[in-house]
Amino acid sequence: MLLLDYQNVLIESVLKERFAQDAPPASIDQTVSDFDGVTFHISTPETKTKILLSIQIRCFRDLVQHGAEQVLQREYGDYVTSTEPGYDFSVLIDVEGITGEKEERDALALKFALLKRNAMAAPFEAAYQEYYQLKEEASKFTSEEAPKGVLEGGQVKAIHYREEEAIYVKASHDRVTVIFSTIFREETDRVFGKVFIQEFVDARRRAIQNAPQVLFRNDPPLELQGVPGIKTTDGEKVGYVTFVLFPRHLTPQRMEDVISHIQTFRDYFHYHIKASKAYIHSRMRKRTADFLQVLRRARPENEEKERKTASGRTFKVQGS
Amino acid sequence: MSQSLRPYLQAVRSSLTAALTLSNFASQTAERHNVPEIEAQTSPEVVLTPLTISRNENERVLIEPSINSVRISIKIKQADEIEHILVHKFTRFLTQRAESFFILRRKPIKGYDISFLITNFHTEEMLKHKLVDFIIQFMEEVDKEISEMKLFVGGTVPLLARAEVNRLQLNARARFVAESFLTPVSRAVAACPAMS
Repeated sequence: MLLLDYQNVLIESVLKERFAQDAPPASIDQTVSDFDGVTFHISTPETKTKILLSIQIRCFRDLVQHGAEQVLQREYGDYVTSTEPGYDFSVLIDVEGITGEKEERDALALKFALLKRNAMAAPFEAAYQEYYQLKEEASKFTSEEAPKGVLEGGQVKAIHYREEEAIYVKASHDRVTVIFSTIFREETDRVFGKVFIQEFVDARRRAIQNAPQVLFRNDPPLELQGVPGIKTTDGEKVGYVTFVLFPRHLTPQRMEDVISHIQTFRDYFHYHIKASKAYIHSRMRKRTADFLQVLRRARPENEEKERKTASGRTFKVQGS
Repeated sequence: MSQSLRPYLQAVRSSLTAALTLSNFASQTAERHNVPEIEAQTSPEVVLTPLTISRNENERVLIEPSINSVRISIKIKQADEIEHILVHKFTRFLTQRAESFFILRRKPIKGYDISFLITNFHTEEMLKHKLVDFIIQFMEEVDKEISEMKLFVGGTVPLLARAEVNRLQLNARARFVAESFLTPVSRAVAACPAMS
């Protein structure tokens, strides 16, 4: 499992089980956590056949600003219900109303498991739309005489999806820039992160020519100038990873996949930093055992000691 | 083994063998105490002249002999930030297990990464030449281990070492991770060449 899934696996499996053709109705009441402090609540408040799925996202207010409600309405349509108190968004699924073959049922379960992805996708989709518009406008001008707004691109959309970290999305007429600010809690993470990021930066040059351009820096990039809430004093602890999506990544056909994929970047990145730390740890453990083995060789072989019984008597070879 | 490593290790080996002539020596200042004189440093007459063997400015060994104990401190090569972190993690890991290593000192001497303290009790219990072997092998392997770990994390692999990476099956993890993340995004072009 190198890449992370886009959906929440636990929710998917719970729903799949419930949606199955002849699944006996059962009451559910589960709280499920996901990355970035997202909490789901899956329950059957009234009857066993009506499943209520609620999501709580830290940055829901940011998302709503960028049209999350429309996106969720589009995705879930009739399932949307009044929001459960303490959560940000809820859907109600009537199990009895589901028809179709196993594949369709599984697809439906997957659709609900993608709730977080869909909520987070709104600002990205907005940026895509903005890009199409700007491209349209920019094509009317040559690069010199274009009015200021067109060349500079749209507003920076900030999503404060974790306490101290945020995603910034900015569209302009020839690209969409996605900037992740990420915090390294310790020195080791920072150094490992640097190695990994370097490979992200180099990948484009070396192997995958079509990859989005990746940039890394410790101070806020120029795109973020004037955006509120950006600290400049934190020095090396904060890193800014910039993905530049070029027109070839911005085709409407690829939109879904690219958005899903880029959302997982932060979790993927930190997951692999942790994984390599764990690997190094197990390696050190093995090497330490080897060293101990060498040191043990320095001890001379134990001579045969006199063996005693519990009461203190000794064995003696007869005749000696 | 590289050209300069062999004489370096040879020098350490012979100096260490010479230094490991220890005898039981009770403390001169406290009655019925028997402490490693090199640590106590109570009387200059039982502490011998320390000796530094350096391979280069980043790699050196300090041997401090005394009448009943020898302290050996090793500075491990750290070319960059990653190696620094790896050395730090590794030595910390070892010193936390100092109990089972008998001769390992819990804290390194200032300016060095790891220290050993061999007393006359150790040389009485264990074979002297095997102890020297252990120190030498430690010095050899620790460098190897650090660079292998580093290659695994990724980092800047010199061209010559690339072949070795493949041989060791240590696929530079970071590279792999980065490429597999970026591939699905870039596949956009492959899927619809007309759009590019």
